Amino acid sequence: MSASTAPTALPAAESPTRRAIKRFLRHRLAVFGLVVVVLFVAVAILAPLIAPYDPLQTSWSRIRKPPSFDHWMGTDENGRDVLSRVIWGARASMMAGVISVLGALAIGVPLGLLAGLAGGWVDAVISRVADAMLSVPFLILAIALAAFLGPALENAMIAIAVTASPVFVRLSRGMALDAKATDWIEAARALGNPPWRTAFVHVLPNIVPPLLVQASLAIAEAIIAEAALSFLGLGMQPPNPSWGSMLNSSQRFLTQAPWLSIFPGVTIMIVVLAFNLMGDGLRDALDPRADKT
Amino acid sequence: MSALLEAEGLVKRFPVRDALGRRAGAVHAVDGVSLSVAQGEVLGIVGESGCGKSTLGRLLLNLITPDAGTVRFSGDDLTRLSASALRARRRDMQLIFQDPFASLDPRMTVEQAVAEPLRLHRIVPRAQERDRVAELLSRVGLRPELARRWPHEFSGGQRQRIAIARALASQPKLIIGDEPVSALDVSVQAQVVNLLSDLIRDLGLTFVLISHDLGVVRHVADRVAVMYLGRIVEQGPAEDVLSAPKHPYTRALLAAVPGHGAKAPPIEGDVPSPIAPPPGCRFHTRCPFAVERCRTDQPALGDGLHRVACHLADSLPPPATRPDRLAGGERLRRLQSFFRAPGPLPGAPA
Repeated sequence: MSASTAPTALPAAESPTRRAIKRFLRHRLAVFGLVVVVLFVAVAILAPLIAPYDPLQTSWSRIRKPPSFDHWMGTDENGRDVLSRVIWGARASMMAGVISVLGALAIGVPLGLLAGLAGGWVDAVISRVADAMLSVPFLILAIALAAFLGPALENAMIAIAVTASPVFVRLSRGMALDAKATDWIEAARALGNPPWRTAFVHVLPNIVPPLLVQASLAIAEAIIAEAALSFLGLGMQPPNPSWGSMLNSSQRFLTQAPWLSIFPGVTIMIVVLAFNLMGDGLRDALDPRADKT
Repeated sequence: MSALLEAEGLVKRFPVRDALGRRAGAVHAVDGVSLSVAQGEVLGIVGESGCGKSTLGRLLLNLITPDAGTVRFSGDDLTRLSASALRARRRDMQLIFQDPFASLDPRMTVEQAVAEPLRLHRIVPRAQERDRVAELLSRVGLRPELARRWPHEFSGGQRQRIAIARALASQPKLIIGDEPVSALDVSVQAQVVNLLSDLIRDLGLTFVLISHDLGVVRHVADRVAVMYLGRIVEQGPAEDVLSAPKHPYTRALLAAVPGHGAKAPPIEGDVPSPIAPPPGCRFHTRCPFAVERCRTDQPALGDGLHRVACHLADSLPPPATRPDRLAGGERLRRLQSFFRAPGPLPGAPA
């Protein structure tokens, strides 16, 4: 190397993550989804500050009033402000969505990695259990588990986490199998990596993209599941507000007071749609084929 | 010179299953290979694709366990070490892969990749890691500023340099290069071969070079082992084997080097299936000299410096044209002199 050459300026190093973010930001619907998701997260966190009324405050003089300036979404059968209840309900729904999916990841990913990398009977046992769980419809299993654990929001989240985990077992097992066949995993072994380090330092970072996509779609599903469980009385317990339990109590007034079901229903739809849009955008942004240059 | 690496009777068969998952036979990838590599020696292993070279390389590092045989590495029988003792031993033996696009973790920066062996084997304190990585990168001809970049930002030759830096990081006693240049462009091949031979010379590395490219092997190897269908058919000092081959297969292999000049008849037919290797001498199905005995008796590799596994080794006619020692490496040599010219190595990819 001769000293005569002036060092050429290097463009900033681009990590795969940074490139994925760039691609994501070009995806308009996905960004819209992200904005809505962030908005609802903020609403959930700031509920005590932004809710105009106490969501539990009943009033005999304002039963089932249609939307008005005082009550933007009307009042329910006990005279409680629907907007305040929708805002507070965001807490239950977002928490149920996010925490139960985090739980599902925590259960599913290590098991999937173990199955994929260890192979043999370990793989056979884990995969068969996951298959068995997947053969039962998602909601049926969640309802059965939640009913077994008893009606409470925490139990509903546990039920959803357990029920959603086999998807992550499958996904991470498949990705681990792919990774196992690559040279860089063999290289990791040849360098002297212990198996757990290979799994968490080499395999895991490489399977984050599909997990992230799956997780964002699973949050949408978990929110629906939480609403369904609450609707059935297995999630958030009255009088505490949750979108599902609001739908439950409003079904008797579907014709007389449609706003009672429309607002929580539309909210669920918007949030679920936002998570799905975000997930689709992530899928496109994290597509490994787009990374090949 | 004492043997650093000694393999004895290595056998590896991969089961082949039919559509129903029943065992339908086995690929005899490596079938009774013994060899030794002395401290500071460069052994070239040559052969056609599918002859078991890469499997042998992985067996030598015990990355796959042999069905039979032992590998002794500076005194330890690798096949009997516990998993953790073997991992610790990996500090002293490293592997360079063929495909530099596949051998680097896509989610690790160059610095992380090269520092990994340092960390795994606690070679330098964390505080000195960065300096050590920079040192290693310049050792392989890469600018240390490139340490923060990701593998996808590099060309094949640069990636192979990174892989070499990673292999050097733990200051191993032995490096096995599994076709380290055959995935690269010819011009880059010459650069990387030069780099390897410089490193071997400067660091006194013990190196096993697995390659099908006789020119490359001739350039760096002290000793050569020729493989055919999972067995070593000829082994000896590089000079002797490559200029006075005794085995008909080695002769044919040398004659097939383009621009070689020797007009030995090309070998006919394909390599027989390793699932059902022919009895007797494995090469008899394609050997122009084969006699009845070759079909039944498996020839032994024999003894001495230059060993050959052929019944007729002493009675074969001399090669049609005595291969010109230089001819095979000429193309490579010219390229090397061209690319060795001092100059900056390509930095950032375009």
